[in-house]
Amino acid sequence: MADPYKPRAPFAPWDRRQLPGLFDVEETARRVGNYKWAEMKLFEALGGWVATVPELDVKMRLGTHCYHHAWHAELWHKRLPELREMNPDRLTVPANDGMVAFVAALTEPEAPELTIEKLVGVYRVFIPHFISAYTFHMNNTSEITDAPTIRTLKLALQDEFEDWRDGEMMIQSLIETPEEVDRAAAHQAQLEKLLVAAGGIAGPGSIGGQ
Amino acid sequence: MRQFFPVDSLARDSRFNQITMQQSQADPRTVYLGTHDGKRPKSNRLTPARPDASDAARGLMHGIFVGEIQALEGAGRTCHDFETGNSDRVDTVPFALKLDMARQAWDEARHVEISVKLSEWMGTEIGQYAENTVLFEAACSTDPVLRLAGVNRALEGLAIDVFTTMKEFGDIAGDPYLEFCEDWMLADEVTHVKMGSDWLRRVTENDPERRKKALEFQSVVDKIFSFGGTRSDSDESPIGLARRFRELAGFTETEVSEIADVSLRALDERKAFAAAELHGDGGSSSGAS
Repeated sequence: MADPYKPRAPFAPWDRRQLPGLFDVEETARRVGNYKWAEMKLFEALGGWVATVPELDVKMRLGTHCYHHAWHAELWHKRLPELREMNPDRLTVPANDGMVAFVAALTEPEAPELTIEKLVGVYRVFIPHFISAYTFHMNNTSEITDAPTIRTLKLALQDEFEDWRDGEMMIQSLIETPEEVDRAAAHQAQLEKLLVAAGGIAGPGSIGGQ
Repeated sequence: MRQFFPVDSLARDSRFNQITMQQSQADPRTVYLGTHDGKRPKSNRLTPARPDASDAARGLMHGIFVGEIQALEGAGRTCHDFETGNSDRVDTVPFALKLDMARQAWDEARHVEISVKLSEWMGTEIGQYAENTVLFEAACSTDPVLRLAGVNRALEGLAIDVFTTMKEFGDIAGDPYLEFCEDWMLADEVTHVKMGSDWLRRVTENDPERRKKALEFQSVVDKIFSFGGTRSDSDESPIGLARRFRELAGFTETEVSEIADVSLRALDERKAFAAAELHGDGGSSSGAS
């Protein structure tokens, strides 16, 4: 065994984490508040849609995914006071009015014949934007000072990837005709335009390039 | 999407057949009328010894299956239907309550998965029995506290009784697969009832009138969910009252006794109702399948 009293480097040779990061405490809190608001809107929509979809397999998946996003909202809720925001509700807000308009359009379909639209909104628009915003945040924040946020981002991303795959497979299994392909694409384009106008989940700069 | 979702709009595929509570209760096949003719046992409790045990167990499992779907839908709607707030208005609920409802939605989704697999194991097809939508009706209240009382305390309380009966059935019948699954679902239901009891107490802490109203609603729902005596301490009821698990879930001894009384009264009323239907002097049609 190596001599336990021999001085060792504080960072092992394989630990390449860097101190600098793109976001200060305030900006991190702002983004986290936007994430929490968006995750809440998503889990509320998924919960509400369960009763409106006739497809049994979809009904069950929406119930499961509803909890995943509620859990993400809870993780962000717990992170906010650690970022000097003692009243988490103050920062639990949409990034801007564009996000409000996007969520309104996302949750508009209700009829039982509109399962494709419901799923496209979540799995081809909203969740891909969560994945991109979370990935950008994870890759640009300080790996040392903001490690708790990175841990939450990784946990949430794991769900997002798996839920995206579930959702995409459900959509592909529901689309059987060229007309349905068009329906899905048209709805995706309508929602994507709204989210582009909003600048992403955390507003302009959600994935950098502001 | 609407704020509140009516029970008659519940989305189902073509296999499902929905009936009302009245149609279900008017079915004389499901109640022991006390006219012992030597063909039916004195006890109506669901045990493997009953001549119709296989079909009764399959029917009950299908009832669990559709009940879980409605419980999933109800929990999901509570996530959606109310603004997040501090509960000082009846159209708001605390954030943490919504999180619990989302967790419950996941649990109920798993229960649907489990009951589909168990139904298949028992030789039942989806839609083979009718779906009574009374469970979701309790989740339609515009006051979230009433939903907690009606769904989490009354309905999930019934689920404790049903799962306990089915677990015992699996044990006696030598079906470890059934017993194993029912035991897991039972653990979840105890959690849901406890959740309902805790939130009911917290949300109405400074509003005794609202609490009273919620407990009255629970009592009404308990009577409805006694399914006209399908669940009671009497051996004439297929499903027993699971006193020990109810106490684990936060029911007091007095509350359990009250439910036992309500259930027995419901059994008597139903026997009279079914007898009238059988002799053709009832006022409603029997459409149960």
